[in-house]
Amino acid sequence: MNDEIASPTAVVEGLHVAYGQQEVLRGLAWRLQPGQVVGLLGRNGAGKTTLLESLLGLREARSGTVQLFGHDVRSLGDAQRARIGYVPQQSDLFDWLTPAQLLAYFRSFYPRWNEAKAEGLLSRWDIARDKPIAKLSGGQKQRLSIVRALAHDPDLLVLDEPVAGLDPAGRRDFLRELVERVIDRGTTVVFSTHILSDLERVAFNVAFLAAGRIVLQAPLDELLDATRRIAGPAAQLESLRRRHGLEVLRSTPLPDGRLQMLVRDAEALAPQAALSVDSVTLEDLFMDLTQ
Amino acid sequence: MTATDLFAVAPGSTEPIYRQLVELVRRRVAAGQLRAGDELPSVRELAQSLAVNPMTVSKAYGLLEAQGVLERRRGLSMVVAASLAAAATPDRAALLRPTLERAAREARQLGLTPAQSLGLFKTVLHEQPEEPDHE
Repeated sequence: MNDEIASPTAVVEGLHVAYGQQEVLRGLAWRLQPGQVVGLLGRNGAGKTTLLESLLGLREARSGTVQLFGHDVRSLGDAQRARIGYVPQQSDLFDWLTPAQLLAYFRSFYPRWNEAKAEGLLSRWDIARDKPIAKLSGGQKQRLSIVRALAHDPDLLVLDEPVAGLDPAGRRDFLRELVERVIDRGTTVVFSTHILSDLERVAFNVAFLAAGRIVLQAPLDELLDATRRIAGPAAQLESLRRRHGLEVLRSTPLPDGRLQMLVRDAEALAPQAALSVDSVTLEDLFMDLTQ
Repeated sequence: MTATDLFAVAPGSTEPIYRQLVELVRRRVAAGQLRAGDELPSVRELAQSLAVNPMTVSKAYGLLEAQGVLERRRGLSMVVAASLAAAATPDRAALLRPTLERAAREARQLGLTPAQSLGLFKTVLHEQPEEPDHE
């Protein structure tokens, strides 16, 4: 595993990525610590895939830096690359090979290969070893993609919508595998998903991508425990904000003339006469922070 | 050892999962479904069963230990503490409070009077089937 003492697994600074004239990532900063399990949330088209690809050096940036394991991602050596597992959104498996052939092919690239784990997952997920990949269902291909990423016991596992093609049973099963085989080992995990309940189960940290930047990254427990939506007359909210030194995550005028604010570390706030104070769900946070 | 099916969590709530687990264990102890000396599933086992991050289970167990509901036996498994299991009745009522507070907020939003709300609660209570005896 990672020998470096507490240095971040990934450091992204000032990342600008654009497609022609279209800016997607605008000076994005991000940091991943070893062993963190981070769920990446953002609307469709916000740039989640672009961000994950950039993180792995698969996409060129206009400017900015990405470092993995302390090395610039553009000049990552084979030994460092072998520590990364990636499950892309569109599976990029070789359709003409069989699963057995595919895994044999990839095994040759990795000094560390957990044959027992690969075999175990193939059996558990009922993936025929000797059938051409082209003949597998979408869900099976996705699972095979996951097997390939897990089989070499990566230190950093990046998953882009890994369960999109799986049914609820398949998703639950995948989460269990993630918990048992990956999280328990202290692997750093980043995954993007639209399925908030999955994220809530396994991610300890949540990162919200909006307007080309990570607008917030925090432990999910802390966000749910202490973030509040407060609503009332603007003047009252402003005075409350100043008195408690509240960090405002978002401010929205309401149709009836009142103001609504999403505030952090607001456990101590209680509802009053004209002031409503409500707890939020992850979905509420998603809606408010990824505008 | 206590079966893992005594535990369940509901993502999508305003309550983080670790807190749901803490409340669940407290309820089970107060109701006598978990008794003094009962061994809880290991962090790993419960995390697997619920498909949640082991750190979440660990956090819940840690809190329950700090609250005196659980104690660590010989540095290994967590068991229900002897002392708390005895103090059942007052604790049980207190555990219903968070749910009632949520219901009270909703009732207020709906513009129901306290009399209307209480009447409704009484009806609902009578509708509830008897809780089956747990082993």
